[in-house]
Amino acid sequence: MKRAGVDVGGTFTDLVLIDDDTGSVFLNKVPTTTEDPSIGTMNGVREMCAQAGISPKEIGLFFHGTTIATNIIIEHNGAKTGMITTKGYRDIIYIARHKRPYNFSLQQDLPWQKHALVKRRHRLPVNERVIAPDGTVLVPLDEDEVRQAARKLRAAGVEAVALCFMFSFLNPAHEQRAKEIILEEFPEAYLSVSHEVIPQYREYYRFTTTCLNSYIGPKVSRYVRNLGSAIRQEGMASELHLMQSAGGVTTMAGAIDKPVNLLMSGPIAGLIGGIWAGGLAGYDSVITLDVGGTSADIGVAPGGQMRVKHLLDTKIGDYDAMIPMVDIDTIGAGGGSVAFVDEGGIFNVGPRSAGSYPGPACYSRGGTEPTSTDANVALGRLNPDWFLGGKMTLDPALSRKAIEEHICGPLSLDLEQAALGIIRILNQSMVHSIELNSVRKGFDPRDFALVAFGGAGPMHACEVAEELSIPTVIVPPNPGNTSAVGLLATDLKYDFSRTELTLTSNPNLQKLNADFAEVEAEARERLGKDGMTGDEVLIRRLADCRYVGQGYELRVPVASGEVDQENVASLSESFHSIHENEYKRRFDGWDIEIVNIRVEAVGKIRGVQWQTLGRAGIEPDAQALNSKRPVTFLLDGQVKQMETAHWAREALRAGNVISGPAVIEQVDSTTLIPPHLSGWVDDYGNIIIEIGRKGA
Amino acid sequence: MTDLIERYGKVEIDPITFRVLGGAFTSIAKEMGYVLYRMAYSSLIRETEDLGAGILDARGRLICESDSTPMHCGSMPFYIRGILKKLDGQINEGDIIIHNDPYAGASHNPDVAIVLPIFHEGELIAFAADTAHWLDTGGAVPGLVIDVLDVFAEGKIFNALKLYDGGKLNQDVYDFIKGNIRVPNITMGDMEAQVASCRVGAERFLHLVKKYGIDVVMGGAYQWMDYSEQMLRKEIAKLPDGEYSEEGWLDDDGRNRGTPLKIKVTVRIKGDEIEIDYTGSSPQTVTAFNSPFEGSTCVGAYYIIRMLFLDEFLLETPIPQNDGMIRPVKVTAPEGTIYNPAFPAACTARFCPNNRAADLVIKALAPLMPARATAGNSAVVGAIAYSGVKDGNYWIYVEVNEGAYGGRATKDGMDAVDTLLVNARNNPIEELDWHYPVRNMRYELDDKPPAAGKWRGGIGVIRENHFLTPAFLSSEAERASGVDLPHGIFGGHQGYASGFRLNPGTSGETELPAKVEGRPVAEGDLFRFTSPSGGGYGDPFERDPALVLEDYLDELITLEIAERDYGVAINTLSESVDQARTAQLRATRA
Repeated sequence: MKRAGVDVGGTFTDLVLIDDDTGSVFLNKVPTTTEDPSIGTMNGVREMCAQAGISPKEIGLFFHGTTIATNIIIEHNGAKTGMITTKGYRDIIYIARHKRPYNFSLQQDLPWQKHALVKRRHRLPVNERVIAPDGTVLVPLDEDEVRQAARKLRAAGVEAVALCFMFSFLNPAHEQRAKEIILEEFPEAYLSVSHEVIPQYREYYRFTTTCLNSYIGPKVSRYVRNLGSAIRQEGMASELHLMQSAGGVTTMAGAIDKPVNLLMSGPIAGLIGGIWAGGLAGYDSVITLDVGGTSADIGVAPGGQMRVKHLLDTKIGDYDAMIPMVDIDTIGAGGGSVAFVDEGGIFNVGPRSAGSYPGPACYSRGGTEPTSTDANVALGRLNPDWFLGGKMTLDPALSRKAIEEHICGPLSLDLEQAALGIIRILNQSMVHSIELNSVRKGFDPRDFALVAFGGAGPMHACEVAEELSIPTVIVPPNPGNTSAVGLLATDLKYDFSRTELTLTSNPNLQKLNADFAEVEAEARERLGKDGMTGDEVLIRRLADCRYVGQGYELRVPVASGEVDQENVASLSESFHSIHENEYKRRFDGWDIEIVNIRVEAVGKIRGVQWQTLGRAGIEPDAQALNSKRPVTFLLDGQVKQMETAHWAREALRAGNVISGPAVIEQVDSTTLIPPHLSGWVDDYGNIIIEIGRKGA
Repeated sequence: MTDLIERYGKVEIDPITFRVLGGAFTSIAKEMGYVLYRMAYSSLIRETEDLGAGILDARGRLICESDSTPMHCGSMPFYIRGILKKLDGQINEGDIIIHNDPYAGASHNPDVAIVLPIFHEGELIAFAADTAHWLDTGGAVPGLVIDVLDVFAEGKIFNALKLYDGGKLNQDVYDFIKGNIRVPNITMGDMEAQVASCRVGAERFLHLVKKYGIDVVMGGAYQWMDYSEQMLRKEIAKLPDGEYSEEGWLDDDGRNRGTPLKIKVTVRIKGDEIEIDYTGSSPQTVTAFNSPFEGSTCVGAYYIIRMLFLDEFLLETPIPQNDGMIRPVKVTAPEGTIYNPAFPAACTARFCPNNRAADLVIKALAPLMPARATAGNSAVVGAIAYSGVKDGNYWIYVEVNEGAYGGRATKDGMDAVDTLLVNARNNPIEELDWHYPVRNMRYELDDKPPAAGKWRGGIGVIRENHFLTPAFLSSEAERASGVDLPHGIFGGHQGYASGFRLNPGTSGETELPAKVEGRPVAEGDLFRFTSPSGGGYGDPFERDPALVLEDYLDELITLEIAERDYGVAINTLSESVDQARTAQLRATRA
């Protein structure tokens, strides 16, 4: 089979094509066509197919990662959305959790009020009420009011509607009936129903997530349909598959139904790509460091498994989105991060970025503030004549001037100290984020390899790894395309859930079994539509549990088959251990509440086979040497300039060893190997750098 | 042993390590708060997050705090100083101390601190501490108390008791606590979460010490304090020297209904220092409506100065909250007054007087710093306790209701949000209905229109809770009597009073005062709370007519209000501003 992965980013669209029959891999990178990204995508696909000598028609599986859903939310340009909700609860999404983002501020904005997803005039309450604990109807649904509300929203020119009733996760009858009425009155609306989007308790989060789904629904649907029809027009054998926030992919229909699941689609493809690259090099547990121009995405995958965030910690931009989401930390640290000294004399780098325009000072586009790219140029780590493979020339004088004016002056540092300081502070913010996501969650970085990619990741990786005592750094063969490869290294994956609220001391086994059976059937049906059957289908059961009286749940695996007392006992034991691991305390004998059950349904897809490089000796070919230049390092607290070899990545062969100090240049990235370290090239072209174990 | 600040205060640290330490301190405190609320049992801690956590040095100087409720965080130094008064020199490795004595630095009786001393090579270097609002400490009535005789009637007092002594649980202390509180299972679970949070904080701090050395870590802590101090002084110095006073009134003391209490603040600016003086405020009351001087009054004063002068939203880089922020601020309140009661006066219900005083400080300084101030804020707390006995056990549910902010120089007041010293979360309705014999029937923006202004005041909430069994109702709130409403400034209108009603719209409708204690309610009763709103900022006739139209379309104001208060006429058919009639209306008044 031939498979294509396309990752559409803000600036570039990265593509990869794999031919499983021949084992060959083709890569491409084209500018993103912002108005209609399907144009750039299809151009890129055609180019790549031509290169491979195949027709786009032959592509059997087409995978796509996109930032469109995230961008709509960050840029606040979603659909005009209406909401129909239970009388008495018109303002749930506007009040939120009534806590201010800043403790010490009178002038702050409350983002959920400043940019309300639905204006109050379009939040229409109707009479109805279902109550806890069993979903009894207290107030019958007033169907006329629903009808009137739907008409009113239609007349107001609303494009999308969110239907959000209290306790609908206990008894969805009212939402189901109201849905029918809305579809009768307003069939063209994009409709999201809370118990369908996320059938879980905590009304503010469920309502907001449902509104987000509606808010991004129309635009995402159009985008997805456009791309889907472009693929069809091209005669491609595959339907469109899209990367989801929980990892795994969904189909075009799934994306149109629950676009909220596409949030973070881009960074997650990167994490999967990083896991894949680590696996290729023989490392299971990886920390991924994807550094671009403005931000760095950091992921931690013990045993090659992505971790999922706590459902109450999942935010997108200013909004709480209660959707399963892979734990990825995005911080404002990249090549464009601006260095400055504030009023109080504190030396800062980022999170503000100079972007592409004006960009770093050395771009000569009018930027005067120093960035981390300028620091790398000033230290000789970035070759000004070899930026983007020589497509762009940088001006080192402008870098030096910016650093001298903005940093050296105010802090009385010399140029080298200041530039090294910029790098150290930037590295520290990455170190700090990795620490928060590893050490602080009980993972020892010494058990991981750091996979560095993106334009700037390989430049900073060794210093970050040393700081954290991470023993190995891996730089994949094509750092700029790692996310696109990640798209092809993933499985089809869907997530289903039900609220239970039952105690392990007296479990409602009947409901547990009925619900597991129901969602598993749903899951198999979904995967069946993707053509997945038999061994290709993997069903995993989970439960969100807590000690009775606690407010937040931890996720525990559940054995398959009939849920009986014995299963419940082993679930309890797992919960005690997981609680102890998370909070350092366990309370054997305390009663446990099963809040939600979950089913993860996975359709296995064949992984990515990568071509091997030709083997060669330890010494790289002489032609691989681009130049020798002085580069500045900090060695044992001393600033030192050292003559440093700059190598051409594409000329390196498996088995080559590169001794530091060294710089390895390629079109989309630059790798730095500090003086006391060395790296070698493995069969797949990964550069593997062993970091001496420190403090172990 | 010398004070660590003398040994390490001036240690030379390179700017990069310094920056790294700042980030590490912040994340330690945040993680402590996270562990506490994620693991806790009572909805007051795990949902509402009525807690604070942080690291302080061996003398109680704040190094870092979690982004939780400011009143909790700000009070931690005084808890430590109270503990040191009793235990200085007797604190050992492995001790864990519990403390809540309001006459020894605690904020008030139910905010119980757990404090874990951190040792390095046998020397006490710091404390990991957290405070959390316990549902009950065994006082006169379940939940909240107001009208009680003295500090002993408010709840059990734990004055620097060792819960763990040299690493060993002090079982008698543990059993005594568990046996003298009304919801022991929940509260002891909360206490375990507090202990876990301190352990995490101590572990992280020692890890830093191991990595960078004691001199660099403590030096970094002290120099970050100096930095924050210097930044605050710089801002204070920008204002002219002088004395600025404001007065206000509180409803009553919770017993003598209809007798308002005067409060007064005087702000004195001299160079880069500032004094908040409460002289002229009411003598201490006979109820618990008094504010412990250190753990509450001082905290409120320090808080509002930082908030006004170093507004986080306006800063390009964060300036950490630490001991430096309190150094340029002096607080004065004569003993025997509501802001500095004398032992053994009760002093649990101290939140409202403090939030109101903070609002008076804003009012006093508003003419000097109009771009940083607000119009009058709701500036109270709406703490309401519901309790009862079910199946032979107590149940207690405490909710912290929000208020609203006054209008600002370039934007409207924030709607439906915690104000000033409160910054907690609401409890999900689907959680409340699930776990307690109370059913919420309404929770949304209040029906009353916002206070008019060029920038309108924020809108409060309305909340209706239905009792499914006989229960007790207690309320610690303010501003129901109307004696002093949230003020408008620069021509803005004033806000609304709060409201407390049983069974509104029925023959049994009863208006309640803002402070009630253990009032019995029957099965089927409905309690309605409405919060005060915020005042308006600037002349409403200068409000952009397009914004008036928005408020009309969002059903916040009527056509009549648009015309009368704002001079804006709206064409309801086209849903647009009637420009000609608006010009006419606005000209007529001028």
